[in-house]
This record gives sequence, structure tokens and C-alpha cells, in this order.
Amino acid sequence: MGPLIPNGVIPDEWNYIIAILIGIFFGFILESSGFSSSRKLAGVFYGYDFAVLKVFFTAAVVAMIGVLYLDYLGYVNMSELYVHPTYLWGAIIGGVIMGVGFVTGGFCPGTSLCAVAIGKIDAIVYVVGIMIGVFIFSEFYTFFEPIYDGFFYGNLTLMDTLGLSAYWIVFIFAIIAIVAFVATSFIHKKVKKVFY
Amino acid sequence: MADTNFTKSSTFSYIILGCILLVLAGGLVLLPKYEQNEGIKPEELLSRAISPERYISTDEVSSIIINQDPSYLLIDVRDEESYQKYSLPNAVNIPLAKLLDEDFEGYLYQDEYDVILFSNDNFYADEAWIICNRLDYPNLRVLKGGLNEWFNTIINPTKPTSTMATVEFELYSKRKAASMYFGVAYPEQATKEAAPIKKAAPKKMVVPVKKKKKMPAEGGC
Repeated sequence: MGPLIPNGVIPDEWNYIIAILIGIFFGFILESSGFSSSRKLAGVFYGYDFAVLKVFFTAAVVAMIGVLYLDYLGYVNMSELYVHPTYLWGAIIGGVIMGVGFVTGGFCPGTSLCAVAIGKIDAIVYVVGIMIGVFIFSEFYTFFEPIYDGFFYGNLTLMDTLGLSAYWIVFIFAIIAIVAFVATSFIHKKVKKVFY
Repeated sequence: MADTNFTKSSTFSYIILGCILLVLAGGLVLLPKYEQNEGIKPEELLSRAISPERYISTDEVSSIIINQDPSYLLIDVRDEESYQKYSLPNAVNIPLAKLLDEDFEGYLYQDEYDVILFSNDNFYADEAWIICNRLDYPNLRVLKGGLNEWFNTIINPTKPTSTMATVEFELYSKRKAASMYFGVAYPEQATKEAAPIKKAAPKKMVVPVKKKKKMPAEGGC
């Protein structure tokens, strides 16, 4: 049956409307869980707030389990789902830039827009920074292109690289998630409380 | 006091939630695995199978060959030996056993031609039809009655008795004319000029269909 739009269960015209609706809900939930505060987001690096790690890890594990059950029951054909392609060095360099930006600015791209929506000045500066970065990247695209397009490994998944079945990976991931949650709540107790 | 109670109860609910997560994830590992079927759904296959569109008659095929209709591709699913002995003009041989070979995918999985499958009767062709339809190959049809029917109706049509309807006679003369095209000589026409020259239809090139790539959605944080 699924994915719904590529298989024509939902007409293609609804694609963007549904995307906007999901986007609105996503933004709403980010904001209501306090993710429009750069102090809260940066807390994960300093050990006084692990909400980011918990929320995203939970989201990932719940989504993985959900998709696998839907696939198992035949509601979603997993082979038709999008797998992000791997450009190794592009991903590594991009990840480092993103991480540095996250620590220094206190936002990731999605949450920065959330924070702009509620009028945070630091977020506005951050988004302007993103725009400048986009501009620089576009202007020097020919220079970056070999990294951007190179080191292509196809649409790799952990199943391919580790040779494990998806079910085991999800199970192991769920265990890692729970261990991480317990560990972070211990760290959280040890670290001096920060008022923000 | 109230605060500690709250912390305790929330810790407890986190433990419960964590357990649910683990049970669900573990359930995935423990679930009995089964081979998921590729291709179209059984209901869809059934509705295609009972559709009258599935068959094509020998008369239609003969007129396709005689008119050199370029939009059809004849595929002989018998083994190679039988194919060498006799086959329809310009037919391509794809033995049933090799049906899913990659070399032949271009012939079967394409959108350019209507494919007509045939064998001695229609059983092997039907098998091929089912297999290919299960894989959602488009535009496949089966020659009703196969080559046996071809011989009985086109190559050696039975002469209608004098009590039969006019349409039967018309059909007979049409079939007779067709059989002459395919090289059958009739004694009553022996006085006439040589048999019509069989024109060879141009060889068919097959352009495989590009598999539909679904536009992937991109996403990120």
C-alpha cells in the first residue's frame, strides 16, 4: 500500500500540502519542547540538559520500529523508501561544520527557524549566517564540487555495511538508546545545575 | 515532598516506556520471518487473468503479420529446437525456462510493443504470461490456442459445409488467403502465377523501459 503518495493512494497534488502541515506540526513540537532556546540545545554539549539527545534518539528509534512493523505487516514497502546517498567526505566535512555551528550558535538549521518564528535575535543572526554560508557555497561551487559529488558510495544503509538484518540493528539501537538515556540522566544529576 | 513523588512517578513511567520500547524492538527480532512477495497483488493478477483482453485470436495475429503491424512483438516461449523447426514469422524465441534471464528482459519489460506470447497450445504461453504479469510487465497477450490453433485455423482452415452461414464462408476465404500468404498452395490455384512474395518485416529493435524511479523525498533536521 505505502508509501502513500508515490503509490497514488494520496494524489500527488497533496504532496506539498501535507509537507507544509507536517512542517507546521514539527515546528510546533520543537518549539513546545523548548528547542527554540539555544541554551537548551547547547546544554547537550555541556551536560546540563540532554533533551535534544533524548528527543531525537526517541524519535529515531520510534520511527525505525514503526516503519519496520508497517513493512512487516505489508502496509509500507520499505524498498521504495528514500535512502540518503552517502558522499563520504562531503558528509564528514559537512558534519564537522554543522557540529561546530551547533556548539557555537546553539541551533541546528531546523530549530533556528523555529526560534526566528518566536523572535529570538540570536536565531535571526544564526539564520543570516546560514544564508551567508549558502551564498559562499554557491559562489565557490565549482571549487567544492569534487568533494560534494565525489566519494560516492551509493545509498548505503547500516544493513549493507554491517551485514546485519534490520531487525537486529533496530533492537541494538533501542538498547543503545535506553543506555544513553540512563547514562545521560546520571550525568545530568552530577553536573551543576544551570539556570536558563 | 510533592516534588519527590512527582520525580518518582515520572521515573517509573520512564521505566515503563523504556520497557515498551525494548519489547517492541525485541518483538521485531523474534517475529517469524517470511519471504515478502515481489510484484503485483494477487487480486490484481486475478482481475488481469480473467480479462478477455488477455487473449488474442489467430485471425488477429495473422492480420497483424500480413499487414506488418510494427507495434507487435511475437514471442515464442517453446524450446529452441521447436523454434528452429517452425515458428511464426519474425518471432523471437524466449524459452520458458529462460524467461527471466536478463538478456530477455528488454523484450518483455518494455512499453514500445504489444507482446504476443505463444507456444504449441496456450499453456506454456499462459505460464509465461502469469509470471511476467506478476512482475507487472505491461502489454502482454497470449495467442489463444497457440500454434495448434494457428495450424487449424490459418494454415489449414476447415472448409465450411454448404449449410453454414455466410460469415463462415467469408472467414474461410479470409483464412485461405492468409494461408496462401504463409505459403500454402491450393491445387485450384495452381494455374495462377507464382505465390506472392513473402515480404520480410523489418527487424525489431527493443528499447527497454526505463524503470520508473520514484522521486525520492529528501529530508533533514
